[in-house]
Amino acid sequence: MILLELGLLGLPILQTFYYSFTDWNGQTSSWIGLDNYARLFNDSTFWQVLGNNALLLASIPIAIVIPLAVAFLLNEHVTGWRFFRSAYFLPTAISWVVIGIVGIRFFAAEGILNGVLRTVGLGGVQTDLLSSEVGAMVAVIITFIWSVFGTNTIIFITGMATLDREVYEAAHVDGAGAWATLVHVTLPMLRRFIQFAFILTLITAFTALFSLIFVMTSGGPGFGTTTLEFFVYEKAFATGVFGLAAAIGVVLFVIVFAISITQLRLFRSRAD
Amino acid sequence: MIQARRRLNRTAIFLVLALIAVVMLFPFAFMALIANQSYDQYLAGSGFSLDSWRQLFDTIPVLQELLNSAIVTAGAVLIILVVSSMGGFAFAKLGYPGGSVVFLLLLAGMMVPVQSIVIPEFVNVSQLGLINQYPGAILVYAALGAPFATYLMTTYYRGVPTELMEASLMDGASYLQIFVRVILPLSVPAIVTITVLQFIQIWDDLLIGLLFLQTPDVRTITVGLATLQSGRMVNVPVLMAGSLASALPAIIVYLIFQRHLVRGLTMGIGK
Repeated sequence: MILLELGLLGLPILQTFYYSFTDWNGQTSSWIGLDNYARLFNDSTFWQVLGNNALLLASIPIAIVIPLAVAFLLNEHVTGWRFFRSAYFLPTAISWVVIGIVGIRFFAAEGILNGVLRTVGLGGVQTDLLSSEVGAMVAVIITFIWSVFGTNTIIFITGMATLDREVYEAAHVDGAGAWATLVHVTLPMLRRFIQFAFILTLITAFTALFSLIFVMTSGGPGFGTTTLEFFVYEKAFATGVFGLAAAIGVVLFVIVFAISITQLRLFRSRAD
Repeated sequence: MIQARRRLNRTAIFLVLALIAVVMLFPFAFMALIANQSYDQYLAGSGFSLDSWRQLFDTIPVLQELLNSAIVTAGAVLIILVVSSMGGFAFAKLGYPGGSVVFLLLLAGMMVPVQSIVIPEFVNVSQLGLINQYPGAILVYAALGAPFATYLMTTYYRGVPTELMEASLMDGASYLQIFVRVILPLSVPAIVTITVLQFIQIWDDLLIGLLFLQTPDVRTITVGLATLQSGRMVNVPVLMAGSLASALPAIIVYLIFQRHLVRGLTMGIGK
C-alpha cells in the first residue's frame, strides 16, 4: 500500500516540483532555475486564469447561502421533503461531462434558457452567454453552483439533525423570535458544517471542474473560462511545455495545500 | 387562526421546494426526452422514436466503452478496498513504529490535486508501457482514491471496540485471522460506503481516462461521450442518448445506495 502511494502519488508530486525548475518536453529536461516561474508571473494569461479562479471563489458564498436557506425549509419536514432531498442530491451522481453537455444546450444562443425567456415574453433580454468571456464564466459558475447545491444542502440538513431540540425550547422560553433563534442559536451551532461545506466547495472549485470546462467551453472563448487546473492540461498536452505546466501544477498544489491545512487547523481547534 | 397561517406557511414552503426540485431535475427530464427523439423530431419539437439510440450504437462503441468503464472502475475499487481496509486496521488498531508519520503522509496524499501530478504520472506510466492499458489507469485511480478511503476506514475502525480483538488474541488467533474473521465482517457498512463513493467518482472521471486510455478499444464511456460532444457535427438527440447511457449506472447506484453516499460525505466532518 505504501508502495502504491509513494510510487503513484509521492513520486509524481516530487517530480512536479523538480520539473517545474526545468525546461522539459516530456523526455529530456534541462535545469533552468526559476525561469518557468518568472515566465508564468510575467504572462498576462496566467493572471487572467488566476482571476477566473478568483471569480469562482467569489461565487462560493452563493453556493453556501442558497443551500443553507433551502436546508432550513427542508428541515420543516413538509410533505415530500424526503423526495426533494433525494432530487436535489441526484446531480452528485452524474459526471461533470454530462452536466457540461446539458449545460451547453441550456445556455446556447438557440438553447433552453432563451427559449424559456421567449415563452414568458422576455425575448428582449435574450443572451448568448457562451460567446463572451465574462458570459461564459457566468454560465460555468451557474452550472457549478447548480451541481454543488445538493451536496451542500445535505451537509446542512445533516448538521441540523444533530442540533439539540432543548436548546430551541430554551431559546423559545427566553422569548427569542424566529430570527433571533436563527442568528444566535442555529447558525453558531452549524458553524462546523458551514466551514466543512465551504472548504469542500472551495476544493471542488479549484480541482474538480476540469471535465466541466473541457466539454462546456474548452477554456474559452479566449481564456475566459480557463482555470488553473485547466491551464495545466492546456500547457502540457496542447502546447507541450511540460516544465511550465509543472510550475502551474506547483502553484495549484500550494493553493490547495494551504486551504486543506487551514481546514485541518480549524477542525482541530474546534474539536479540542 | 394560527393553524391556518401555519398551513399557509407550509404550503408556501412546499411550493418553493417543489420549484427547486424542478430546476434540479430538469436536465434529467431534458436528457430523457430528447434522447427518445430522432434528429428531425428534435428540430420539429415533437414526436418520439428510438432512432437516436440506434444511431448512438453506430457512432461509438457504447457497449465496449461501458465494459471498459466497468473493468477500470471495478479494478480500482477492488484495490482501494483491499488497501484501505488493511491500512485502516493497521492505523487504528496495530500502532507500529512510525505509524503516525505515515498517517500524516496519508493525510497529505488526500490534498494532492490530480492536475498537479498528472504530467509526471503520465510520463512515468508511458515509460512503463502502460498507456492505453487497463492496469495503468486502474493503478492511477487506485492511488488517487486510496488515501481518503483509508482515512475513512481508520475513522471507522477507531469506533470498533478493541476488546473484541483482544479476546481473539487470547484465543491464539493471528492478526490476519482476526482481520478476516472479526474485523472484516464488522466493516461491511464502511466498505459499502467507500465502494459507492469511489464507484461514482471513478465512473464519472474524465481526465485520467482521457490521458491514460486514449484508443477507442479501451477508453471509458465518459471519454467516448466527451469525444462525441467535441465532434464536428453534433447530433443533440444522439448525444443525449449517450449521456443517459453513461449516467444510468451511476444513477442506479445512487438510487440504491443513497444513504451510504451521504454517510461517506458527512464522515469527513468527523464527530
